[in-house]
Amino acid sequence: MAPNGTPIKRPRLAAVVTSYKKYLHPQHVVDRFLDGYGWNGTYHHSEMDVVSLYVDQRGEGDLFQERAARHPGMKICTTIEEALTLGTGKLAVDGVVVVAEHGVYPLSENGIMMRPHYEFFEQITKVFRASGRSVPYFNDKELSWNWDWSKKMVDVSHELNFPLQGGSSLAVTWRVPSVEFPLGATAKEAVSVGYGGMGSYDFHGLETIQCMVERRKGGETGVEWLQTYRGDKFWKAHQDGVWSQALVKAALSRSATLRPGDPTFTDIFPTIEQMKAMVPDPVAYQYQHREGLLSTMILMNGMVRDFTFAATIDGQPKPFSTQMYLPMPDGRTTLASFFSPLVYNAEQMFLTGKAQYPIERTLLTSGLLIAAIDSDRKGQRLQTPNLAAVTYQPNPKSTYWRS
Amino acid sequence: MLTRRRFVGYSALSSSMLACTPLMRSTFGQTSSKQRPLRLAILGSTYRRGSNLQTIADRFLVGYPYQGDWHMPNVQVVSVYVDERIRRATAAPNEFQLAITGRARRPQAPKPAPPNGAKPTPDERWEPMAPSSEEQGLASDLSPARAQQFGFRLCHNIPEALRCGGDRIAVDAVLTVIEQCSDYPYPSNDRGQILLPRYDFFQQCAQVFEAEKRAVPYFNHKQLSFSFSEAQSMVKTSERLKFPLMAGSSMPVTWRLPDVDIPLGARVQEAVMVGVGGMDDTDFDALEAMQCMVERRKGGETGVKAVQLLEGDDVWEAGKAGRWSKDLLTSALSRSDTPLGLTLLDGRNQDLVGDGALPQLVKDPAAYCIEYTDGTKATLLMLNGAIRDFNISARLAGQDLISTQFFMPPAPNETYSACLAAKIDQMYQTRATPYPVQRTLLTTGLLEACLKSRHHLNQRLETPHLMESYQPPAESKHVRT
Repeated sequence: MAPNGTPIKRPRLAAVVTSYKKYLHPQHVVDRFLDGYGWNGTYHHSEMDVVSLYVDQRGEGDLFQERAARHPGMKICTTIEEALTLGTGKLAVDGVVVVAEHGVYPLSENGIMMRPHYEFFEQITKVFRASGRSVPYFNDKELSWNWDWSKKMVDVSHELNFPLQGGSSLAVTWRVPSVEFPLGATAKEAVSVGYGGMGSYDFHGLETIQCMVERRKGGETGVEWLQTYRGDKFWKAHQDGVWSQALVKAALSRSATLRPGDPTFTDIFPTIEQMKAMVPDPVAYQYQHREGLLSTMILMNGMVRDFTFAATIDGQPKPFSTQMYLPMPDGRTTLASFFSPLVYNAEQMFLTGKAQYPIERTLLTSGLLIAAIDSDRKGQRLQTPNLAAVTYQPNPKSTYWRS
Repeated sequence: MLTRRRFVGYSALSSSMLACTPLMRSTFGQTSSKQRPLRLAILGSTYRRGSNLQTIADRFLVGYPYQGDWHMPNVQVVSVYVDERIRRATAAPNEFQLAITGRARRPQAPKPAPPNGAKPTPDERWEPMAPSSEEQGLASDLSPARAQQFGFRLCHNIPEALRCGGDRIAVDAVLTVIEQCSDYPYPSNDRGQILLPRYDFFQQCAQVFEAEKRAVPYFNHKQLSFSFSEAQSMVKTSERLKFPLMAGSSMPVTWRLPDVDIPLGARVQEAVMVGVGGMDDTDFDALEAMQCMVERRKGGETGVKAVQLLEGDDVWEAGKAGRWSKDLLTSALSRSDTPLGLTLLDGRNQDLVGDGALPQLVKDPAAYCIEYTDGTKATLLMLNGAIRDFNISARLAGQDLISTQFFMPPAPNETYSACLAAKIDQMYQTRATPYPVQRTLLTTGLLEACLKSRHHLNQRLETPHLMESYQPPAESKHVRT
């Protein structure tokens, strides 16, 4: 109820997704709007309704028909335009939820899957423009596989003046321990250690770093250059101290999934030789922020199954570190609860009309991922003038899950 | 091997030897130097990969993750006693049995491998001194390999472990992890309690302490005993001999999602804990985790007046009758990351209480209903089939509900036991227990009383013996940094 006693109109949302099957991002995200989720110590139902759903790729294992049957208010649409206009000829919803992760799309020449974040955005903003009205827009994960398109998405959101919020759940999930990067602190170096491969979980590692270091003194200043290390070059760089081994150790000391290098043990810190044996394809993206911070996103697939962060912060005697905890339904859990804070923050955007954290974070991490894959292909450090121009201030308020 | 009969014999012998000896002060404080590591004796049941003993003892050998670093405790493991080794040796054919069957007891030279596909005859397989292939693999007793790698003494009995082969106590602390072992199982009683020899281990140590007038800090993993009276005797002995006794499981000290605790002195009206696992098993951990929160209420712990263990449909009926709160159950389950049923089928979120799905999912529910003397009530609901994790919600007078998940990170790391190892290490170094052993004592009694209620056809049982009072630590003791 509004203060004057009139009932608040429940926002109506259009969902635009790639594929709606078990444990794919669209299922995790849209299900939470439909069925609710555990939040703040109770079972929470969002104060909004998904009134339309567009699914780009249909096939075996689809769940959206079952969802539509239980939620008859959600209309299955065959075009994005229909999902937004509901056949009225103009924008008929109060918010858009885009989940373009998963599905199968062709690979770019750099080997990144060309997921249709931008194509969806184009069609959605076409309706915005035609209707002379824009509504809050949630975009799961990265902006686009193509830098120009990523940049354009942010520019258009400013031009049409609608909140655009996205990124990875890593930025908003539980932290173990539950700590925040001190606002305005000066940091020299930051690392994240995670798992998965290039062009997928690397984005989560980049967002892990960025949601923390953007809070440093002066905010984000942009990134000057980036270099990707893999294979033997990774191990040489690790041993030469190209990034801090102490920070990697601090991050790994936050892991709860550190594979024992010696199989008769269950929790033991690995030697470098054991690391090499466990991680056949190590990956590091190292990049220099303009004011001097050095960040390194590391993937040690085969040795860990979680994302951890560590940084040297001026005035703190030892590394600042935490784990961004993902309750992962790969046998460890059954619910990917890290989507709950992602959806809750999206709900807050739809209710307040304000993005809960800056889209420039995701613009920078989208650009870092593209540059990193380019650096790997070219085998050299790349100057990144496009990323040097991405400067922004963080939300001083913490938005990660802690209640 | 430690049997009751042997223990009683040992006990009688040493008590008579001690009868005339005046008890001198224990000599705490002799090893406060930070340079010299504390010498630790580890006593346990089975040192196989994945056993509680292996996961906890190894932390004192190879360190553990702590406060963002890989922490090496200032502890040197000097001796280890593994009960299973002695039980195995006792179970093996003795010299006489070997002699009458014509077998030599000396180890036999390895035989050449049989030709491909040829199965060894039963006769060829019968080699009592050689470890089986299963024992040589990851499931084997790791203690000989650890002894070799870390240079500790693998002992034949508990006094030897405390004296490291000499004639005086030669350790500064004791760690005991006593658990069921599948190959040489300890017996159970008619209430389903496994008769783990925790009291027996403790008494053997206490006798050495008493005989030598020197007692050292002692950690007992999980409940003190299957018997409350034995547990009480353990606590009294530690007070009499003036050594710190710490006990309990990892759940009270592990991470919480979110990182919350009941404010000290809050008026707690009711708590509902949800968990999974077996009876006389993880129910202890869950009861202790619940107790570590509830004890923070106004006035501290004042004891329990009655318990009742309900099973089957009686559990749901009790909820309808208000014996436990559905709101608190909804709240506790909202913290779970592991709902089963339809979530397993297609990933959806479920309000298991609101949807009415619980009775279908949980075939054998159990409710451990605890009535505290001050009117606070607490219920542990064991919901096998509905979830796989441990969560709590509590109602405080005049405040919102407080709820959280006790985060139990998965195997193999099981980093929750690193949280416990840090507390044990702290106890060894400071010679002060981080939280009162009375919590574990009361929980030991709660579990015993609940299982007795079950044995008495789920009757409500008055528990005048559980009027245990104690004050909780002012500061929260779960790991948060």
